[in-house]
Amino acid sequence: MTEDRPSALSRLNGPQDLGRGPVFWTAFGVVSAALLAFPLVGSPFYLSNLAAFFLYVPMGLGLCLVWGYGGILSFGQAAFFGIGGYLYGVIAQNLAPMPAASLLGLLGAVAGSVLVAALFGYFVFYGQVSAWIIPLLTLVLSLILETFMGQTAGYQWRVGHVLLGGYNGMTGIPSITVGPLEFGGASVALYLLAVAMLLLAYVGLRLFVNSHLGYVVVGIRDDAERTRMLGYDVARTQVVIFALAAGLASLSGVLYVSWGNYVNPSSMGLYAATLPVIWTAVGGRSSLLAVLVSTIALKWLADTLAVRGGEYAFLIMGALLLGTMLFFPLGIVVSLARSWRRRRSVPAGRPEAGRGAGDRRSP
Amino acid sequence: MSLPYLVSLLYQYADNVAFLLLAALGLMIILGVVDVINLAHGELIMLGAYTTTLAYHRAHLPLPLCMLLSVVGVGAFGMLLERTVIRRFYRDRLGALVATWGISLILSQGTLLLLGPSLIAVPLPDWTVSYGGYSFGAYRLLLFGAAVGVVLLAWWVFYRTRLGVRTRATMQNAEMARAVGVDTRRIYLYTFGAGSALAGLTGALYAPTTTIVPLMGTTFVDVAFITVVVGGGANPILGALTSSALLALISTPLSTALGTFAGRIGLLVAALAIIRFLPRGLSGYFHDLQRRRMAAART
Amino acid sequence: MSAVAATTTTGEPLLRVEGLAKAFGGIRAVQGVDLAVARGELRCLIGPNGAGKSTLFALLAGLEQPDAGRILFEGEDVTRMSPFRRVRRGICLKFQTTRIYRGLTMGENLTLARGRRRGASSNGRLEWALGALGLARESGRPAGELSHSHQQWLEICLALATEPRLLLLDEPTAGMTPEETALTADFVVRLADGGITVLVVEHDMAFVRHVARGVTVLHYGKVFADGTFEQIEANHEVRRIYLGEE
Repeated sequence: MTEDRPSALSRLNGPQDLGRGPVFWTAFGVVSAALLAFPLVGSPFYLSNLAAFFLYVPMGLGLCLVWGYGGILSFGQAAFFGIGGYLYGVIAQNLAPMPAASLLGLLGAVAGSVLVAALFGYFVFYGQVSAWIIPLLTLVLSLILETFMGQTAGYQWRVGHVLLGGYNGMTGIPSITVGPLEFGGASVALYLLAVAMLLLAYVGLRLFVNSHLGYVVVGIRDDAERTRMLGYDVARTQVVIFALAAGLASLSGVLYVSWGNYVNPSSMGLYAATLPVIWTAVGGRSSLLAVLVSTIALKWLADTLAVRGGEYAFLIMGALLLGTMLFFPLGIVVSLARSWRRRRSVPAGRPEAGRGAGDRRSP
Repeated sequence: MSLPYLVSLLYQYADNVAFLLLAALGLMIILGVVDVINLAHGELIMLGAYTTTLAYHRAHLPLPLCMLLSVVGVGAFGMLLERTVIRRFYRDRLGALVATWGISLILSQGTLLLLGPSLIAVPLPDWTVSYGGYSFGAYRLLLFGAAVGVVLLAWWVFYRTRLGVRTRATMQNAEMARAVGVDTRRIYLYTFGAGSALAGLTGALYAPTTTIVPLMGTTFVDVAFITVVVGGGANPILGALTSSALLALISTPLSTALGTFAGRIGLLVAALAIIRFLPRGLSGYFHDLQRRRMAAART
Repeated sequence: MSAVAATTTTGEPLLRVEGLAKAFGGIRAVQGVDLAVARGELRCLIGPNGAGKSTLFALLAGLEQPDAGRILFEGEDVTRMSPFRRVRRGICLKFQTTRIYRGLTMGENLTLARGRRRGASSNGRLEWALGALGLARESGRPAGELSHSHQQWLEICLALATEPRLLLLDEPTAGMTPEETALTADFVVRLADGGITVLVVEHDMAFVRHVARGVTVLHYGKVFADGTFEQIEANHEVRRIYLGEE
């Protein structure tokens, strides 16, 4: 009953996400190895495309954490993505001749985003505001940032010697460079870095949600007052996960800039703010794994649509969002996983069977 | 600091208040009664603007009739939304938020696909008033008048009609209201319709003043959301009034001195500061204040 | 037999409440309550509906802020302290309506409640409590599936898991059968004998009689009477406020 400290292994394997046990982890290992080995057979074109999908996963997982596990609906992931991208661009280019310039840019970008998020969170979470206020204010934040950056054309809008670039954005940003290794758009290095970040983010968050703090976060989602009455500093915990999600989003932002060497205001605007919400809702916000899968799948879908019929892309996204909320409220991936599990006819009554993603739904 | 300058400032202020109020009131009424945030609110405003513009240019109807069409049309559409979608999210407020965001995308993208990137706007009636070297667009004064009129109408409905009594009962305690025979589902339906009609009216009124593009809703919801957050849902009319009055007080000098963007950023910062200390917004604060005053009066 | 021993060896009561007042709208729920509770004491708070018992508990736990007065816990003024800090200080409230994490198992509920204390030496009192209440075997079930009385007991255990020095139980036997009520009463007595100070709000006189310790009667937000159970039971005035006539 009163357990000893759970081992790291049991924390990884814990019940807060889909997929458990030796079969799952073997499959996970195989897929991970395949992803890492892909450069041996893949062309730079495919590597570049895949990297472009994978780099968004940390951002999506961050929203899954705060919304699915924390009950905080944030439209701000895109804002932090953009802040990360722009900060990296400013720092890396200003420090340009230095060999560590891009790494300092990466650090600065993530730190800056986390700081902004913590400040924002201080106002929102310590006030114990109603849940609907956060999506509204984060949406406004994204819109304002996009509008602001959109009108920074002109020479007077610069930091150091780096122009912000207004509506066209900042271009010519150097990729992350470590010694002779350049993490550029079509490079193996960037592809591997994106895969590594994807895996690290997933495994790291999985450890987190199965840890004691993870249970506290879920407790806050299910009943914040109850959790407060058990002696927990609820506001501080909420700020922490909100800032963590922002850090992950800014990491995606930096990877994006390293991949494409540019960033512009539309990375933070209306549509960009919507995308993580769509990935998370469609995948199933109660499961990190589901959101990992749906982020990649929907990014691929958006890409395909952009090529074949760009105007319909966001119409389809909107319909997908509405349809998912109406017919698959638990998320499509999660619903599929549950029906698959049920079909394997695990006897009812065992706690492991009916549990996991989606059973603790609380609006 | 001449008198005409003050009058000009006052005009700006009134103009800003009107904008905030008209943009936010419908949303706040829905929030207060149904307890749902309609993220498609901006698109409803857009539909109002489009309806007026299309009716004017294609059907050649007189402008007031076009606007009436917007009010009725968007109001009806809102009721349709309530019956088909919103109804399923009564117990899931965040879910309603996300679902209405999906609707918002469908509406704006659909409009883009069907009607193209922009429409020719309704011409702005060319009335001006001159005073002390400043000239003021009288149409915008009309907008202020409309805002005042809308608030009075809402107040009258809420506090002087039986529908209003039933609505307020539903707001305070839906279960009790049902127990005494109020059809709360119908109240929610009408409220959603009314809030949408107000959005349609806002779109119609501002149609002559702005470019008619599918994403025009975002310029309204930018500030509408802040107004709603600061106002709170406890009392929609009081909240909308006090919130728009306060926020315009902050944004008017900022935008006059430093441009519209500074005004917007100022609003966001102000909203964050206000909800930190008044988490239920201004109307929530006044609500609690009133209770305390009642207590003190009995000492 | 005076059960109202208001001082400990150091002379300072564990909990002291001075002039506490709270009004909601026109209703003065608590009007100037003075109270002193000694360490290790077990006291029942009774009174007719609307007497202010639950409001008093809410004030003690920090869920409401008083309009006037102060609350001193172990000599420290906690009147303005936020609820979670009071829990860390050792004041824990068991809610009137069960408020457990329905989707988590009982074991997970308890782990959450134990918090950082879980890694340290196990909580002997909690282990004993789980056994005494018959909860030890149910650890794997989702808490929402437990019977009502088990949920009530789980909630008491959650409070115990925070290692409180002052336990506030708000109507712990609501909805229980007479047997369950007696079991709960025995349990609470043994808790107090084990060193925890317990304040119980109760409507069920069978519970209060079974416990047979100090009783404070609240009426219209004020302390109406104070004494042992026998003294209160024999008090005509108390009878009158409950029954409305003499």
